[in-house]
Amino acid sequence: MRRLMIALLFLMVTSTGAQEKNASKSANVKAPKVIYKYRQYEKFDLGSMEIKGSIVAPGDLSVKERSRRTFSRDLYDRDNFNTEVIEDIRNLR
Amino acid sequence: MKKILLIITLIMSSRALADIKAATELYKQPQSLKRDRDMALELFKSKYFFSSLAFAKNYIAGSKELDPEFEAVIEKLMVKTGTMSFSYMDRKILKRHMSSPTLALAYGIRMSQLKKWDESNKALDNVPDNHKFGSEARMLQGAALNMLLKDNDAVAMYKRCIKASQTIEQDAEKEKLGRYYAIIKESCFIHLARIEYRNGNYEQAKELYRAIPKTSYRFPYILMEKAWNAYQREDYNRSLGVLVTYKSPLMTSYFFPEAEVLRALSYFRLCLWEDSMVTIENYYKRYKAQSDVLRALLLKHKKSYTYFLKMAFAPIEETEKMHPYVRNMMTQIRKKIKFSIDLVSYKKAQNELKFIQKLPTSKLRNLMEGELKETLKWRTTHLNHYIKKQMFDFVNEIHKFSYEMFNIKLEILARKRDLVWDNKQLVSDRSRGSHENLKRESDEHFYDFRGEFWADELGDYSFGLKSNCEKVRVGAAK
Repeated sequence: MRRLMIALLFLMVTSTGAQEKNASKSANVKAPKVIYKYRQYEKFDLGSMEIKGSIVAPGDLSVKERSRRTFSRDLYDRDNFNTEVIEDIRNLR
Repeated sequence: MKKILLIITLIMSSRALADIKAATELYKQPQSLKRDRDMALELFKSKYFFSSLAFAKNYIAGSKELDPEFEAVIEKLMVKTGTMSFSYMDRKILKRHMSSPTLALAYGIRMSQLKKWDESNKALDNVPDNHKFGSEARMLQGAALNMLLKDNDAVAMYKRCIKASQTIEQDAEKEKLGRYYAIIKESCFIHLARIEYRNGNYEQAKELYRAIPKTSYRFPYILMEKAWNAYQREDYNRSLGVLVTYKSPLMTSYFFPEAEVLRALSYFRLCLWEDSMVTIENYYKRYKAQSDVLRALLLKHKKSYTYFLKMAFAPIEETEKMHPYVRNMMTQIRKKIKFSIDLVSYKKAQNELKFIQKLPTSKLRNLMEGELKETLKWRTTHLNHYIKKQMFDFVNEIHKFSYEMFNIKLEILARKRDLVWDNKQLVSDRSRGSHENLKRESDEHFYDFRGEFWADELGDYSFGLKSNCEKVRVGAAK
């Protein structure tokens, strides 16, 4: 068992070493040299900027006038006197 | 005087004793339908109405058809002992005897109590217009058709009711009987008005309500309906005027929580919010607090089978001590036709039991005593329940309407808030009355209310308040 384990470890070490060697070879051939340059300082003169168009909103702050919506409660109402009709016939002799 | 009374009582009791001898002999025969029938007739002749009833019911249960002589006896028995003697019989038995107008009425009453309107209407068709119970049957049928929303048929039925009761009222030999049929006639008028009201025909309803005289037993009860009718016609001044009648000393025992709500609503519609608020506050202060006390008092005895009936027999001073509402309630309940008739029957049954207990011991006497004791027990429970229900209904009504009052109060507060939002106010803080604001027809009465109530003026008051509903900018009010 021990021997088998040692053999497996040996095999794994040798295969990873081979992969690293292949990768370093292909990098040496293709890698282009890219140089990134950033602007170090940029200035905006907001005062000299101009927007063209026409103003459609009123000049001052305003709220459109409309009547407030009111919700009225269902107040007590009498549709009929059915209860009284029943009461009457129950009060017959 | 005492001696004469004693002799009369002796003669009466000896006559009763002689009559019961014939019934005792009859009772010795073997049990049969014929014997039950003869026993019923014999005891009826001896004026033992409640004892006769037991045998009559046995005969009705066993026989297929009733002969005219027996029909005449049960008709009188129903008058003497009340409709409940027959209306609580087995429904199948009653249904078998629909050719008997008395039993058809009993069945019709039972069906209407169970709200089986169609069946009630069909059964009552068997009571002719010219029968003793004709007007009651027509009124019941009118109500059944009303509930079935068959308005045209209901109107026709009520008209027949008015005609039938008018005929008996005119021919009645006894004043009390005449008054009873006058009440039925007026009730049918009121029911006609209620149909018009339900259909939104308030002008027609108004005319029908006016057919009820101020002397009528029904008058105090219809004032509220008249006030509602005026309210629906947007005649809030008339509504308030009609309601003020309840403040008359003649009507102290009549208290309708709904009338207070209608008063608050009428002020509200005239935008007299402060008056409305005062009505609401008064309701809470006066009625709600008292009703809570009354409720506690009633709850203590709610399981009793006799407490409320004893209350009915107690003198007014005693009920007044219990609670002012109890006294008023008892006065109201005693005025109800059904209750007073049932109470008279109850007392008659008690007297009959006393007579029976004086009779010499026999099988028949024991049977009669047992039957009557059972009858009295059942009637005690029944009457006690009737009073209890009336009282609890009243308490519940106060609580129900206190919720409605709260709703009106909320609405007033909301309207006041809206005025503030709109930077407006009502045209005046409180509008004053004026004759200009009266709505009145040429034949309609109007009386100035000067702090006194006159019987002939009751129900004809009207306020003259101007509507305050106009809104003006703040500061522009008059």
